[in-house]
Amino acid sequence: MGMSWATLGRSRMYFWLLTAPAVLYIVVWRLAPALYTVWLSLTQYNIVYDALPRWNHFENFGRILRDGGLRGSLSLSVQFAVIATAAEVLIGLAVALFLDTDPPGRNLLLGIFLLPMIMAPVVVGTVWSTLFDRTVGPIPYLFQVLRGPDIQWLATPATAMLALLLADAWEWAPLVALLLFAALQVLPREQFEAARVDGAAGWQLFRRITLPQIAGMIIVAAGLRVMDAFLELDKVFIMTGGGPGTSTQFISMFVYKQAFQFYELGYASAVITVVLAALALAYAMYLRGYGRALRPADSR
Amino acid sequence: MTARRRWGHLVGIALVLAWTLPPFLYLVMLSIKPERILIERSQVFFWPTFERYRDFIASGLGLPIWNSLVTSTLGSAGTLLLGGLAALTFSFLEFRGKTLLFLVILIPRMFPPITTLIPIQLMLKTLGLIDTRLALIILFTGFEIPLAIWVLRTFLDEIPRELTESAALDGASLPAIIARIILPLSGPGMLAAFILSFIFNWNEFLFPLIVTSFNARTGAVAMMSFTAGYKKLQWGSLATLGVVMTIPVILFVLAFRGSLIRGFTAGALKG
Repeated sequence: MGMSWATLGRSRMYFWLLTAPAVLYIVVWRLAPALYTVWLSLTQYNIVYDALPRWNHFENFGRILRDGGLRGSLSLSVQFAVIATAAEVLIGLAVALFLDTDPPGRNLLLGIFLLPMIMAPVVVGTVWSTLFDRTVGPIPYLFQVLRGPDIQWLATPATAMLALLLADAWEWAPLVALLLFAALQVLPREQFEAARVDGAAGWQLFRRITLPQIAGMIIVAAGLRVMDAFLELDKVFIMTGGGPGTSTQFISMFVYKQAFQFYELGYASAVITVVLAALALAYAMYLRGYGRALRPADSR
Repeated sequence: MTARRRWGHLVGIALVLAWTLPPFLYLVMLSIKPERILIERSQVFFWPTFERYRDFIASGLGLPIWNSLVTSTLGSAGTLLLGGLAALTFSFLEFRGKTLLFLVILIPRMFPPITTLIPIQLMLKTLGLIDTRLALIILFTGFEIPLAIWVLRTFLDEIPRELTESAALDGASLPAIIARIILPLSGPGMLAAFILSFIFNWNEFLFPLIVTSFNARTGAVAMMSFTAGYKKLQWGSLATLGVVMTIPVILFVLAFRGSLIRGFTAGALKG
């Protein structure tokens, strides 16, 4: 694979140096800031009152434990992430299975279906704000025509959450579909054909043959989505701003407000550090747990 | 059997399109609906107006879109340059600690943006770069380097090694090998990496929001300022901005479906 030492000769040294700019760049603009966030989490640093961050004896972490608002945000984020991911996996799986039957214009259809995921998240947020708006939106209008209840969709806690979930499913079910479709495409057909000859059909064929083979990818896709949805921010900004009240103030919005509205950089950093450490741990355990659960199914 | 299958396909296609298209098409419709009937939702058929597109620049939306274009393009160019150089090494050279170095480069991609938000704002403030395009170009260059290396490496790995080896034996220098052999063969990979990072930069919201205010604010940030204002919301202009923001994305999808799908699959799994 690599070029031999002899042919490269002295230039081997320079060759190696080609990575230097990229590595340096990533260290300065990605790694160092992340580490600085960890350091800030140990300090009192309100940019209005404090000239410099100063160490405050892990006070931020005590505050995290006592902060009811933070707990509320965490629980909202968990609800949002779990429900959105479940919806995205269901829709994504259905679309992937459909595309796998090779309908005419399949690639174009996939391209169109991917559009919401490729367009800017703020545009996705705007699309759904528009759809739910009471002056220009078709959804409140439909309710009005059908003499349904007059709902302030984005200004009522439950429906604001629902609207965000819908927007997220619209945006990200395509990613799940893309990954599962890729997995379906490489499945060996023999086993499938053999089962069909044995008289298995439809649902049985899916449950016994297809599902176990793409279960790994479903788990990976769901994991990616949960992590990402847990930290959702862009659409919340556009659609609800975290409101009404704090009813859609997910964890990222909580951190954003701590940092850029209350200027509590130390505390905000502590929340980020703790949440991400917990998230990484949960993700590792999730993958391990499922790895174990999957193995017997594979050997069967 | 085949007839049933064909009907199944038609129903499926209709369902997929009905899920994806109407929300966006409604935004398109709003952008060309005359102002005086904008809130008359019963009127779905009307004579479209293109005034908002014509007055787009006059209404102050030209600058944010221009900022988005400049910063996304130059940022992606920077990504391609730095990522391309590193990808060369990772593809062509074996050395100790290669896997480790590759991990060091890939891991930061897994940090959610919010982890670096605060330090980066402080850094840019110290450097006096707040609300400049340069700040965004610097940030955008960094964001997608890992993805660019990943994508480019898969393309570079496909270049036959005999070509570079024999050129080296003929005494060609390394820069000559890169310029005459590798560069001409890596066009598709560069294009894929460029488009992917352009789209990600174009769509980026959080960083432009905190490091720009007016002069360098991007299209995405301008959308936000519509909804955050206390004035009566200009739905027509907002919809127009949303459509304009989506045009490059649609063009890329139509033109480069194949490599985009490949890139996004790789990006998601490695991200």
